[in-house]
Amino acid sequence: MADLRLENVSKRFGDVQVINGVDFAAKHGEFVVFVGPSGCGKSTLLRLITGLEETGGGRIFIGGADVTGMKPSKRGVAMVFQSYALFPHMTVEDNIGFGLRLAKLPKEEIGRRVAEAARILQIEDLLERKPRQLSGGQRQRVAIGRSIIRDPKVFLFDEPLSNLDAALRVQMRLEIARLHKRLGATMIYVTHDQTEAMTLADRIVVINRGRIEQVGSPIDLYDHPANRFVSGFIGSPAMNFIDVNEHGPENCTSLGAGSASIELDGCQVAGATAIGIRPEHLELAGPEEGDFPATVEIIEKLGAESLVYLQFDGSDLPLTMRTSPEHPLCAGETVHVRFNKDRIHFFDRDGKILNRP
Amino acid sequence: MKGVRAGSRSPIFCGARRMEQSNRFWRTVLLAAPVAVFTVFVIWPLLSSFHYSFTNWNGFNREFDYVGFSNYAKIVTDKLFLNAAINTVIWMVAAILLPTLLGLGLALLIDSRVPGGTMFKSIFYLPICLSAVVVGQIWVWIYQPDWGLLNTVIGLVSGEEFRYPWLAKPDTALGSVIIAWAWQQTGLSMVIYLAGLTSIPEDLIEVCEIEGATAWQRIRMLIIPLLTPATVVVIALSVINSLKGFDILYIMTGGGPFHSSDTLAMHMYNESFKKYLMGYGSAISVVLFLIALTIIRIYFRQLRRVDEIYG
Ligand SMILES: Nc1ncnc2c1ncn2[C@@H]1O[C@H](COP(=O)(O)OP(=O)(O)O)[C@@H](O)[C@H]1O
Ligand SMILES: [Mg+2]
Repeated sequence: MADLRLENVSKRFGDVQVINGVDFAAKHGEFVVFVGPSGCGKSTLLRLITGLEETGGGRIFIGGADVTGMKPSKRGVAMVFQSYALFPHMTVEDNIGFGLRLAKLPKEEIGRRVAEAARILQIEDLLERKPRQLSGGQRQRVAIGRSIIRDPKVFLFDEPLSNLDAALRVQMRLEIARLHKRLGATMIYVTHDQTEAMTLADRIVVINRGRIEQVGSPIDLYDHPANRFVSGFIGSPAMNFIDVNEHGPENCTSLGAGSASIELDGCQVAGATAIGIRPEHLELAGPEEGDFPATVEIIEKLGAESLVYLQFDGSDLPLTMRTSPEHPLCAGETVHVRFNKDRIHFFDRDGKILNRP
Repeated sequence: MKGVRAGSRSPIFCGARRMEQSNRFWRTVLLAAPVAVFTVFVIWPLLSSFHYSFTNWNGFNREFDYVGFSNYAKIVTDKLFLNAAINTVIWMVAAILLPTLLGLGLALLIDSRVPGGTMFKSIFYLPICLSAVVVGQIWVWIYQPDWGLLNTVIGLVSGEEFRYPWLAKPDTALGSVIIAWAWQQTGLSMVIYLAGLTSIPEDLIEVCEIEGATAWQRIRMLIIPLLTPATVVVIALSVINSLKGFDILYIMTGGGPFHSSDTLAMHMYNESFKKYLMGYGSAISVVLFLIALTIIRIYFRQLRRVDEIYG
């Protein structure tokens, strides 16, 4: 069993606390995605697990064994770098077999295992080539080949797809998912792209400023974000946030929107300073049922759905709404919009969620 | 005032053309200067060496006779020429290998962040800033039999007085000069290798770490191959410098004792300026030139092959 456990792991570079007491455990065979904005410490966390950086505090366990302070090569981890980190002077075959050659395995065995890895990744025809003769996607496969050949306990990926173009990214994403299914190994995958996180992960770890904000399944994070950061980070287009007016009428949430305000009757949570609502939880309504009037600014027709960017009248509050494409909307038109009141998230002053919609 | 009609040449266009012409003028002038210098100091002596190699000129008299190929025939039978040729091969091999290997070793050590690395870098680079004459004189003092640094240190370590005339013994003369030469040249290759090391991506080193490469495996399988471009430069400089390596021999041994440290350049010098056989000396210099040309041509052909691999 190769599970991974981090206990109160921290790391500082000079005066900067980059990783701040991270506690986390991944079960054997789980696909865990660390996601967070650029510079939040994802790579550093991954490098701590690999052993490329020394921990500043806390312990790391792989397969139950304490590997804190162990050399990277003794930890049984394999890492795929964003830059691929292929050896430019070696053929694909030698790149993939590198670890086995270091271990001085017999030539036939290396050949056999390289061929097997190449078959899984469909790069059998490229074995004689040098990295610079490969496309980005092929290089990525070679880098993955080098990591799977040693049969590691834990796979670590650091933004492996961010150098690929959009179409290839989607394709490689699927292949990594397939690879995970096939190998059944524990995989830790780092990305700043929440779509990648949502599509790949068994569980997502949202990181911000060196701290874990929330851990959960993709749907869990989407439906029940723990705070305003996670709410805004997970989901595309992002959740709409509106400030709550301090002095509103009784039993009503009054939303500040420039000179005007939106009153949500029969819906109130004590201590809320802001609300969040996802684009699909705003809907078009008749003038009678609508909560507020707004002007259509831009419509993005995506085929299966349309994204409508709204401007609440009398303010510069931008709102995004997801609608079905049948609605005959045009820019400049005034529409009436209704909140799905069951799906409003209420946040307190510190951004913590107050309800469970 | 004349209006500018559409389609006529704009003033800007004319200005550009004038500038183009004046550029061409300056380009010619600036190129002519180095070409002239090169002709006077390289091409002309080369041609006159070639000319004199067919004469018996002694270097002073106005008259001389043409002697055909007899100077070249003499080379074939000249025992001292053969001796100098062998020494030249030893000199060149050592003068290329030693600084290259030592420079690589030092660069790897300094790059591995040994304490005081930056200081060592400066110290090892220092000799490059000295002329070969100064380096030669420093090492003459180091090798001095009675009070030189080397013998003094050996004496202190062994506890007995040690007096060995390193430069005055045929067995050690050439080797001693080679060491002095390597001492000077190592700094240069070290600096080139250090620059080459900084261009190796950090993540490749990290892959070695994760995959469990030993230091030696990392150096052999990754670093040395990736340093090939640096090695190309280091060897090119070593070849060129070793071909030029005359002054340090002249200062330290003058080719002696008993021609034990004669190289072809030294031999040519002795024949031309000590024995006043300018014609014969010229023939040696022509042969030396052809050898140098061949080596450099072979080298550049190899270089192209490296380019094809790494390009
Ligand atoms: N070796 C280092 N020395 C100093 N600061 C570093 C070092 N590595 C990373 N950092 C800093 O740590 C923070 C987190 O970096 P990183 O883990 O690379 O972020 P991410 O991968 O999430 O984009 C950044 O602010 C970065 O500048
Ligand atoms: Mg990163």
